[in-house]
Amino acid sequence: MADATTHRIGEQDGRSSFLSASVLLGPATVVVALGLLLPVLILLRYSFNRFEPRVMMVEAVTLDNYVKFFTDPFYTNIFLTTLRVALGCTVICLVLAFPLAYVLARTESRYKNVLLMLVVLPLFVGNAVRAAGWMTLFGSKGALNASLMGLGLVDAPLQIMFTEKAVIIGIIAVNLPYMVLTLQSVLEGIARNLEEAAFSLGAAPWPMFRRVLWPLALPGILAGSILCFILAMNAYATPVLLGGPQFKMMGPLVFGQFRLNNWPFGAAVAFVLMSATLVLTASANLLMQRRYRRDVGAQPM
Amino acid sequence: MTKIVFASRRRVLKGAAALAATGIANVSSGARAQAKGKVVVGTWGGDYARLLNKNVEQPILIKDGWEVIQDQAGDPERRSKMLAERRLPRGTTDLQGLSALNMFQMHDAGVVDAIDYGKLKNAANLLASMKYPYGVGHIYSGKVGVHNPKVLGAAPASYKDIFDPKHGNKLGIIDIQYQYTLVCAALAAGGKVNNLEPGKKLLLECKKAGARIYPTNEAFAQGLKTEEFGTGVMWKARVVQWQNAGIGVQAIVPTEGALAYVSGFVIPKNAPNKAGSYAYLDAMLEKSAQEAFAVDMGYNPTVKNAEVAPDLNKRIGFSPQEIEALVDLDYAYMTQNDVALKEWWDKELKG
Repeated sequence: MADATTHRIGEQDGRSSFLSASVLLGPATVVVALGLLLPVLILLRYSFNRFEPRVMMVEAVTLDNYVKFFTDPFYTNIFLTTLRVALGCTVICLVLAFPLAYVLARTESRYKNVLLMLVVLPLFVGNAVRAAGWMTLFGSKGALNASLMGLGLVDAPLQIMFTEKAVIIGIIAVNLPYMVLTLQSVLEGIARNLEEAAFSLGAAPWPMFRRVLWPLALPGILAGSILCFILAMNAYATPVLLGGPQFKMMGPLVFGQFRLNNWPFGAAVAFVLMSATLVLTASANLLMQRRYRRDVGAQPM
Repeated sequence: MTKIVFASRRRVLKGAAALAATGIANVSSGARAQAKGKVVVGTWGGDYARLLNKNVEQPILIKDGWEVIQDQAGDPERRSKMLAERRLPRGTTDLQGLSALNMFQMHDAGVVDAIDYGKLKNAANLLASMKYPYGVGHIYSGKVGVHNPKVLGAAPASYKDIFDPKHGNKLGIIDIQYQYTLVCAALAAGGKVNNLEPGKKLLLECKKAGARIYPTNEAFAQGLKTEEFGTGVMWKARVVQWQNAGIGVQAIVPTEGALAYVSGFVIPKNAPNKAGSYAYLDAMLEKSAQEAFAVDMGYNPTVKNAEVAPDLNKRIGFSPQEIEALVDLDYAYMTQNDVALKEWWDKELKG
């Protein structure tokens, strides 16, 4: 009898927790479904349509747009350039952000909040405005070249504007705060005494970093890297303004196709970009989680 | 996309002032204002939107009791919106500001109304060339040669002189102006507005010789200012703006005839307030509004009764012979080939 009552109460608890979970999840799910999934599905449908210059979009079910993308070296090169820039920016951001995030996480200075604000400060300015700032710095008569030439370090101005270098610098400047903040919050959760324990057992700084700090920070590294990678893959303003007309990435390519009213091809390019970002992000997530479980799960912490 | 509502505060203030000071007369004016309704106008942002408000909306429409909302965005976004809304019985805008080519494209796509010129009292003054069956020309300019004497000694006289490979890296080209640049180069190479192949060949030669490609009009202006290059093509109105900004350049009307640029307005078929659309079109063709646009923006009026001061006209305008020689795009050809031309531009010229 008691067992039956407990079972019923358990069932009721389960039902009510399911109900409250549904109530809590419902509004957000509806917003996401209407605001994201529905347009994405419409876009997917468009990507199978055909483009006719005077009619713009003709209803069809064809893979022509995808075939065009993957068989034309012009477009596949744009895709590979985007991947290269996104991966490069993510790695550089990680290398630059880790020490900074570590200092921010460990500092007990009363100016810690000010330091955090300084990290966030670049995000107060829009990407386009920030890129405009870089333009004044990188131009052939910009501040950088004027200084280098004034100091006699170079004879002719360096060509930085409208190159891949300029785009990478610009994207790093945009993404770095995201990486720093993500890492800082994770590093703060790793007890300082774990590092001290490693040192007291004779570990040098590098083995301590490799065996203790890195594995424990892996979830933050993964989150920060994914964030940076996604932002870099989808960058628009920075490649357009700093890369110039001859440098191409996927974001501007998508916009360019819609600008030409070629919605079917634009939708197909958008889907290639979205799918590639999703697949690479999911793969990295899976790989890193497996590694995290292996590294951290195997150690008696 | 930015939506800016004008008039509410003004109307409130007007209402309050009316009640306090002049009583019933102005209250009835407020009531009339409410009856006029709302006009939603799609337009580019920046100076153009500001000047529409300053010269058309505030002094004419809002004063007359209309509520005006600007739906500001680039023209690709607004064209996409018009196409996306084509199946709706009621769209979200009453008129859209577009270039002549884009007006044609929207007409070709079947999303805009034919203009009933009988409903426009200012239509009688409108230049015949600005009366499109599907849209009304608001302002115009022409693609002229830009010349910086400090960089390039002798001034070019024609598109042929400008698109000359001998200039090497002293020739500047604007990426976003690919359509007009291709047509100018075609005219330079003896081609026509519907045969751009000679222009493509010439542009490739110029590129091989070192011609610089700038992403935007602003980057092109910056290059002119820093004397990276000395010649190219641009709207005369823009050249005037650059001269006003202190850039030492001259505008040259090419002997082949300047390629015309017209900016105008179309009425979407599903515009919710077509009376408002026509009221706006009439207001923008008012003599005062057209004259103010010439002064503020450097574009030429599209109405015959607008008076432009002789010194200003010398800088922004065209002589009767030059107006006669203005060359228009072949809209149907450009619409049919736009994607292919852009692909050629990206792959062959810039690639």
